[in-house]
Amino acid sequence: MSPATEHLVLWLIPGAPLVAALVIALLGKSVLRERSHWPCWLALATSMVCAILLVTKLAPATFESPDESVIGAMATGYSWLKVGGMDVRIDLRADAMSALMLTMVTSVSFLVSVFACGYMHGDKGYPRFFGAVSLFVFSMVMLVLSANYLQLFIFWELVGLCSYLLIGFWFQKPSAAAAAKKAFVVNRIGDMGLILGIFLIWDTFGSMDFANVLFDADNLSLIAQDHPTRMIAICFLLLVGAMGKSAQFPLHVWLPDAMEGPTPVSALIHAATMVTAGVYLVARSTPLFMYAPQAQVFISCIGATTALIAALIALTQTDLKRVLAYSTVSQLGYMFMALGVGAAGAELATAGATAGMFHLVTHGVFKALLFLAAGSVMHSMGDVIDMRRFSGLRKVIPVTHWTFLCGAGALAGVPLLAGFWSKDEILAVLHEAGHHSDKYGNIFTAVYWIATVTALLTAFYTFRAYFMTFWGPERTPPEAGHHPHDAPPAMAWPLRILAIGALTVGAAVAVTHLFAHYFEHTPGFEPVENHVFHVGLMVQSGLIALFGIAVAWFMYVKNPGLPAKVSQGANFLYDLSSRKFFLDEIFTAILVLPLRGLAYLCFMFDTQVIDRIVDGIGALPRLLSAAPRLLQTGYVSSYALMMWVGALACMGYMLGLFHQ
Amino acid sequence: MIQLLFILLLVPLGAGGLLLLFSGVSQQRSARWIALGGSLVALALSLQLAADYRALQAEQGVSASDSPIAPRVEYRRTWEIIGDTSTPGAAADAIKLEFHFGLDGISVVMIVLTALLGVVCVLSSWDAITERESEFYAALLILQSGVIGVFCAFDAVLFYVFFEFTLIPLFFLIAIWGGPQRRYAAVKFFLYTLAGSLVTLLGIITLIGYAAKGGLTSPCSLPELAAWYQAHPMDPWLQVGVFAALSVGFLIKVPVFPFHTWLPLAHVEAPTAGSILLAGVLLKLGTYGFLRFCLPMLPDACLTVGLPAAAILSVIGIVYGSLCALIQRDVKKLVAYSSVAHLGFCMLGLFALNVEGMTGGVLQMVNHGLSTGALFLIVGMFYERYHTRMMDDLGGLASRLPLMAAGMVFICMASVGLPGLNGFPGEMLSLAGMFKRNPLYAAAGATGLVLGAWYLLTMLQFVFFGPLKEPAVHHHDHDRHGPIRDISFRELAALLPLAAACLWIGVRPQPLIDVIRPDIEAVAKLYDGRPPVDLKALAVAKVQQRSGQEQ
Repeated sequence: MSPATEHLVLWLIPGAPLVAALVIALLGKSVLRERSHWPCWLALATSMVCAILLVTKLAPATFESPDESVIGAMATGYSWLKVGGMDVRIDLRADAMSALMLTMVTSVSFLVSVFACGYMHGDKGYPRFFGAVSLFVFSMVMLVLSANYLQLFIFWELVGLCSYLLIGFWFQKPSAAAAAKKAFVVNRIGDMGLILGIFLIWDTFGSMDFANVLFDADNLSLIAQDHPTRMIAICFLLLVGAMGKSAQFPLHVWLPDAMEGPTPVSALIHAATMVTAGVYLVARSTPLFMYAPQAQVFISCIGATTALIAALIALTQTDLKRVLAYSTVSQLGYMFMALGVGAAGAELATAGATAGMFHLVTHGVFKALLFLAAGSVMHSMGDVIDMRRFSGLRKVIPVTHWTFLCGAGALAGVPLLAGFWSKDEILAVLHEAGHHSDKYGNIFTAVYWIATVTALLTAFYTFRAYFMTFWGPERTPPEAGHHPHDAPPAMAWPLRILAIGALTVGAAVAVTHLFAHYFEHTPGFEPVENHVFHVGLMVQSGLIALFGIAVAWFMYVKNPGLPAKVSQGANFLYDLSSRKFFLDEIFTAILVLPLRGLAYLCFMFDTQVIDRIVDGIGALPRLLSAAPRLLQTGYVSSYALMMWVGALACMGYMLGLFHQ
Repeated sequence: MIQLLFILLLVPLGAGGLLLLFSGVSQQRSARWIALGGSLVALALSLQLAADYRALQAEQGVSASDSPIAPRVEYRRTWEIIGDTSTPGAAADAIKLEFHFGLDGISVVMIVLTALLGVVCVLSSWDAITERESEFYAALLILQSGVIGVFCAFDAVLFYVFFEFTLIPLFFLIAIWGGPQRRYAAVKFFLYTLAGSLVTLLGIITLIGYAAKGGLTSPCSLPELAAWYQAHPMDPWLQVGVFAALSVGFLIKVPVFPFHTWLPLAHVEAPTAGSILLAGVLLKLGTYGFLRFCLPMLPDACLTVGLPAAAILSVIGIVYGSLCALIQRDVKKLVAYSSVAHLGFCMLGLFALNVEGMTGGVLQMVNHGLSTGALFLIVGMFYERYHTRMMDDLGGLASRLPLMAAGMVFICMASVGLPGLNGFPGEMLSLAGMFKRNPLYAAAGATGLVLGAWYLLTMLQFVFFGPLKEPAVHHHDHDRHGPIRDISFRELAALLPLAAACLWIGVRPQPLIDVIRPDIEAVAKLYDGRPPVDLKALAVAKVQQRSGQEQ
């Protein structure tokens, strides 16, 4: 590829969706209307093709020699802002990590947009939907292609905007409007941390470019030696940003509510792509994090906490989309666990980042599939998504059924499916970290066991949802009409393609370690010497997955009365899970209400104290004049009296009466 | 180019005078057309001025001037000489006042903003103002001239004259065409800012007098004054005193917490056009004053006292203003309190006293003018339709007014500092500059990013989203206005330029920054590596010295 074509390919990846967004914004309502999906499709297909071209372009000549020099592609943009010591450019920069992520993002986006054409058909906001999706894809790929931290922040916020617009897509629903606001504001808490982290990077390194901050190893180690505490502060601040966007405990509360958006949006933004931006940020900043092992251990712990809590909540949710949402939170927790293992040793950092990014990719595929299948269920059930209101749908909507099954199997970690491989890699690096590290060994062992327990829970709740929806007696809600229909072709084909992906994508690249070999060529990562499979671990996690599925089958197919008994027997625990550990209530009580109270106090203070003082000072002249004013009575007689007294006094003075 | 400036200064004034002259004679409805014509001509002139200025800048390159204030274009003519000039020896004691107009990057940018908002104001008042139209538009145009005068005056006394002059038309705008409490609001606004300005005048006189005593022949000229103070810095304690005096008026004008209580009241009572101009440019006179007087002439005081004081007050203002905005039920009051928070960012940037922060501060001056102006514009639009601004009476307007809702979402995003729109570069640079000085202030200020999103999106949630809720419109209103319609062409014409400017500054802030950069660098140079003064030690030393002399 010549440099010119390389530039073109790089620019087309974000450029095409941006053009589509503009076209739809300008013409959607008046001209395109029901054809508004065309610009979006064309653009996303272009992006996808270019992303695949990019991956092949960036492929090293041989996968055997990890020493091969760093590969990457760069396309220059323009100087966005240059003031004093701050120089921010908008450039496109791609390397192995971003190319892999781009491929996933663009292909899932394309499939989702095809699906959405069927799903959103007839909606009043049809053009608005595709416009926002195009804008989202533009922002997301720009985020991944960023060459410096501030550019990343710009598009980090823009994907947040698209998320806001799409969660609130059906803005007439008060719940959707509230969820959109919640998502934006909670994300802003993370963003605040992120921008402060970026300022600190700028202040410490004098630059925000990845090239200067991350990839210049000598400079990095020099600066890290001079400012060890700053490095830790930087990492924790970046982490706050990542936790907000990737919905890590305790900032995860926005993601389940985000399910108020249309289901394709949940599949694309709130499962496959945007929420993984935090994982990408941390993986990208691995060279920085290597100098802050405390932050890395914290990442793993936060990941473990998130994974476990979200999985526990998912156990009892009755809304199919919420089950999937909590499972997304939980799986993001998995990725975070893997990203933290660098604390156990530099050689593990690459393996951890590889495992995390691999899970990001496979999760993107199978979770998008699951959400789209759930959307297909909603579509045929007349927008009912409460699993208690339907069951036994496997004959009613066969395509949806078997594609959902593929996704569920992949999520649960059924051997040889996508999730199995990536989850297993995470378990393997955690296991190894537990053994290798002296200082943090115990912590990583604990994290490993939490991950294992979470794997069991995941298999259980995934198949609980599957059995509740597709097995049992055939029931459909009245909203579905008399003959619920399966997905139309525009929805069925993306489901099929993603299902094939969920079945094969793990095996295709994991068996040969293709992903890991490719990923290692990302600048800033140490190549790993030898890749091995931990067969023992694989067998163990395979058995765990099957056991979880079996329990779900036993409880929801074999003995349908059992779950009710269990929930009655463990009433408190059941409540804890189904009410989401009361986290929303706790946040309201300790954060929202006090702040509103404080706001009320501030306003009272404003009107009753500050403004009173101002008015008081304003009234001062009038008060001071009150006494002299008494003299100005306006009566001629009193003035005459005063004149008379005054005249007497003058006369007396002149006559010397007062002189001694 | 200077002729262009004079024409620009005179066009709105002339149009306003014309309106006043024929107020009894002409058809009232034609007044708005005259006003529109006048403001459009002014806008065109200001754009031409900006283009010429950029050409000049490209020709001259980055200014090599040593003075912290260096207008590229100047016009000077003696106005009045105070003091004895007849005897040759005494000439040095005389103080020369001048008509000293000029342009530097900051003033050009602010003049264009003023002219743009002038057009928006006329368009926003088109149907809203139905009484005494000639006088209304006359006041609007005269106000515009006054503000442009402030931005191009480079003589301290001339500056002050324009600074105070702007009070008068705005006073009438609020007091005559305002809401139910307009008298109280107008009087409070007038007296409060006037009282503050008088203390500022004291500071200005001290600055002039000190320099005159030191032998500066034209001590009223800001460039010469700044250059002189660079060579002959005042005693730090005296600087602090002058700084305090100057600040009183500017702090009230900005307004900085706790001097802000006149603002929500004035905004709520003012007609839409008054609010737009008040928020858009009049508040900037305060920050502009800091930029022209305090920062270039009193560096030690700014660094030692001004920085911590301004930073703390700004941070309080950001948090406090945001919290107050959070619980408002009146949307206009919410926007008014948001101004307190936004100007907190602006002050935070200016008092970072480095290039990044001050650039951010000036950008924030422009940005706040654009986005808050647009917010008031939209609030005015739905007030015109529903005669209420209360969040409890309205809901789900996006279903009825989709275009207006889209505009509101856009402007709110600009206002919360979403990257890609104008608010971001300003807030980001302000915070980054302050971060370099003191990360704690920046971190505290950054909470405004969260709170800002919270209150504005809450407003969007209740007013524009959710199920449609409209107040019952009175029958006679219905006859007059017809059914509720989405944005009209006229309203679009007012909103679109603001939105376009927001997007342009967000995507491509560099051209704007390039215009102001040399002037900001000239001031920021004063603070490069300047150590803070130990005021306490200085005072102790002085006392000891004095007691030593006595002994």
